[in-house]
Amino acid sequence: MNERIRQIRSWQFEKNHHAFRQTKLPPIDSYRDKKLPDYMRTALRLKTALDHEKPVFAPGEIIAGTRTLAELPMIYDDDEWEQIGKAHYIHERGTVTNLSPDYGTVIQTGLLHLREQTDDSPYHQAMRISIDAVLDFTSRYRQAAADMGASELANILMRVPAYPAATFREALQSLRILHYAMWCEGNYHNTLGRFDQYLMPYLQHDLDHGALTEEDAMELLEAFFLSCNRDSDLYFGMQQGDNGQSIVLGGMTPDGKSGYNQLSEMCLKASADLRLIDPKINLRVSRDTPLDIYKLGTQLTKLGLGFPQYENDDIAIPGLVALGYREEDARNYAMAACWEFIIPGKGMDIPNIGAVSFAGIIHSVIREKLSEVHSIDELLPYVENKIKKTVLELAETYHDLYIIPSPFMSLFFDGCLKNKKDISLGCVYNNFGLHGTGIATASDILAAVDAAVFHGNISVSSLFEALDRNFKGFEELQHYLKFDCPKMGNDDIRVDQYAVLLLHMFSQAVKNLSNERGGIYRAGTGSAMYYIWHASSLGATADGRSAETPLPANWAPSLNIRLEGPISLIKSFARPDFKEAINGGPLTIEFSDSVFRNDEAITKVAQLVRLFIELGGHQLQLNTVNRDQLLDAQKHPEAYRNLIVRVWGWSGYFVELDKCYQDHIIKRAELTI
Amino acid sequence: MKTGIIFDIKEFAVYDGPGIRTTVFMKGCPLRCQWCHNPEGLSPKPQLMISPAACIHCGACQNACHHKMCITCGACVSCCPLGLRRIAGTVWTSKELALRLLKNQQAFSGSGGGVTFSGGEPMMQWSFIEQVLYYLPGIHIAIETSGYTDVKTFSRMCSKVNLIMMDIKLINPINHKKYTGVDNDRILMNLKLLKEGNTPYIIRIPLIPGVNDDENNMEETAAIFEKPGSLIRVELLPYHITAGAKYSMIGLEYQPQFDTSAKPEIWLSPFHKRSIPTLVL
Repeated sequence: MNERIRQIRSWQFEKNHHAFRQTKLPPIDSYRDKKLPDYMRTALRLKTALDHEKPVFAPGEIIAGTRTLAELPMIYDDDEWEQIGKAHYIHERGTVTNLSPDYGTVIQTGLLHLREQTDDSPYHQAMRISIDAVLDFTSRYRQAAADMGASELANILMRVPAYPAATFREALQSLRILHYAMWCEGNYHNTLGRFDQYLMPYLQHDLDHGALTEEDAMELLEAFFLSCNRDSDLYFGMQQGDNGQSIVLGGMTPDGKSGYNQLSEMCLKASADLRLIDPKINLRVSRDTPLDIYKLGTQLTKLGLGFPQYENDDIAIPGLVALGYREEDARNYAMAACWEFIIPGKGMDIPNIGAVSFAGIIHSVIREKLSEVHSIDELLPYVENKIKKTVLELAETYHDLYIIPSPFMSLFFDGCLKNKKDISLGCVYNNFGLHGTGIATASDILAAVDAAVFHGNISVSSLFEALDRNFKGFEELQHYLKFDCPKMGNDDIRVDQYAVLLLHMFSQAVKNLSNERGGIYRAGTGSAMYYIWHASSLGATADGRSAETPLPANWAPSLNIRLEGPISLIKSFARPDFKEAINGGPLTIEFSDSVFRNDEAITKVAQLVRLFIELGGHQLQLNTVNRDQLLDAQKHPEAYRNLIVRVWGWSGYFVELDKCYQDHIIKRAELTI
Repeated sequence: MKTGIIFDIKEFAVYDGPGIRTTVFMKGCPLRCQWCHNPEGLSPKPQLMISPAACIHCGACQNACHHKMCITCGACVSCCPLGLRRIAGTVWTSKELALRLLKNQQAFSGSGGGVTFSGGEPMMQWSFIEQVLYYLPGIHIAIETSGYTDVKTFSRMCSKVNLIMMDIKLINPINHKKYTGVDNDRILMNLKLLKEGNTPYIIRIPLIPGVNDDENNMEETAAIFEKPGSLIRVELLPYHITAGAKYSMIGLEYQPQFDTSAKPEIWLSPFHKRSIPTLVL
């Protein structure tokens, strides 16, 4: 990074911009009017919020836009919201979230062009109010920039986002304001999508015309990345850092070409240079991806950023097509906040609407049926039924969904402006996704019961007694179940077969199931925060897991087991057919930081990632950790403000996490390779 | 069928040769280097190994044991609920081991990797290894050795493997005996074979503070490689304080006669002036 970037980075790292934060909330009367339709309330709240924003610039500011309003009140009062909650299913906070907006088109056409397409219908009025609010806000930023003599910045703000961006810098500035406004509209987990695809034309233009050198472009890019890290603490999320500001690099273009370009590479380098949690990087790869790209990704892993996360085009694209996505849309997939596959500008999918606890299902089937059967094969039909029943029960709860409308966000989605239909009501794709937590633990339970009960001499009653007592007095049995039975992650078909089967049963259970929006259900291997919740209600399990041991996050092996190593691990976890369960959810591997001492070792890690992709794995994410350092950071958080870790689908600062998540990461670190 | 005793198999051993490799740690070593970080690799017999840090003192291991002296029966191992005990040293037949290693074959072939035999001292079980290699045709084989074996076996080994990583610890014979327990004459003799042969090799020097990290020893070492033959490079491995971590786990005391907290010196110039490539790990 150059001096100017360094200066901005340290200015915001020292939280100088927090001094401008407004604690006094702007008046709510303008939008909390019971006579107003919901979409109009959202538009007026956006206007109120933006009207009260005050321009703030870092010294030497390049890409402007810093939030000062710390809170955004609901468009409803508590009573209204309670009534809505009684009548409807509310997902998370009830707002539009976790989407991939089509920034490219809006940057390319400008907001005024969209405004021209509005008429006097009430919904279009709401869209117009939103656009005007964003343009007024920009104009105040422009004036403030001009007043302090930043004429170049002021000139750019004169043009974007009102008019089509003409240069790389204008495109980045436009994106910053558009993205900023989404947060002010009350939307969250606003991902940044295929950043390298929709911005490359501007970069190419500037480079071709000599308007920019690559160093100039790098400065602009880094300034944009910095702007993504300024307001992290104001975003909603389960934990700080869970803000969904992810970008997707590389991968196939809608017309089937390779999308990896100069900007993809610059993004990887800028991220390594800045070492900040945002934007989080997803790298799309395939069997044709050259090793050098994996090596650049591994350089980031080495820094301990917890990304890139890799997605396999060879699996994801056909998987999405099989679910009914059009081929050009499937090729254009982006990532939601964590790891769900979504379609930019077209998907109103809710890929994280719920989760199925596989460890819970297997555990309860065993408790109910084990004494009646003579083999695991006899048990499996019960498992299959239970999965179906669980999925159906979950699906039945997702009806009369209500999502607070977002007229501004709707401008970024196919058909919303033309059809006067808010994005909250649906778009081209309206599918729901279910996570599947603890699939490895579920498989381990089946393999352990097979070995202990059907091929060993453990009686069902003594197994149950041991579980009831959390293995107290049954230490030898616990040791046997935990260390002498097959475990998923050791390239052992005796247990991997169950994971393959469970995932297949999951995908069959959601098949032909439709939701009230005309969409389907997608099965996946993610966990989000469910892995903590599902474990807490489980008790001890027959794989030798004590009641207090958490479940693994996402698509990962059980905790506290012995693993043979990373080669066996990726072979096990690449085994199922993910094309039929492509909602998302990565294999996570923790590496000790000592693995990365030299370039040769970096190449080897890159080769390992490539092997996972070649074997047909769908998604992979590597962490670099040092367990001693994590323990020390718990004791001395003040000394570790910069320590970045991956949590479930996102990276955050370790010291800012709740203790239960910190402890889980330390537990995972015990399995490091 | 021959059997061998192995104390660990490590997948993705990144510092044991080219590409993605699986390293087999053969148990038993004729040397007693004071800085050895794999003390469970020294004895050729199985040993009980205990990781006490996470012990909850449940007492299950004590209840399970009926012996005055440990006979490595494993009774205490299989009752520890946390899996903190294990027997270091498992007997494998050559075919079993080959099948285990072949599970990783896909990873080897795509990365220019393969299998590395380390230890302990793998040359102590060469005839077993040779039989394992019979089942691993076409796989890149590397060996990490002290070079302490008879010339005939060493020469046979050279013709059977693709890469040799050999330690040169000290040139001065008196000091060598003092710090490793054995003379270095056989080692230097085998090194001569290596220089004259065609098998690519890497020389590894553990840098032990105050023992061999002085300029003089490095100069003497580098001087041997005036005509290095198929030498790829010299790797320097600075001593790390964690080397002693496993001694208490097998009931031994770590008592090196050098200052374990000192930082080793790194002299590269004796190699560079002879155009010998180096790598510090």
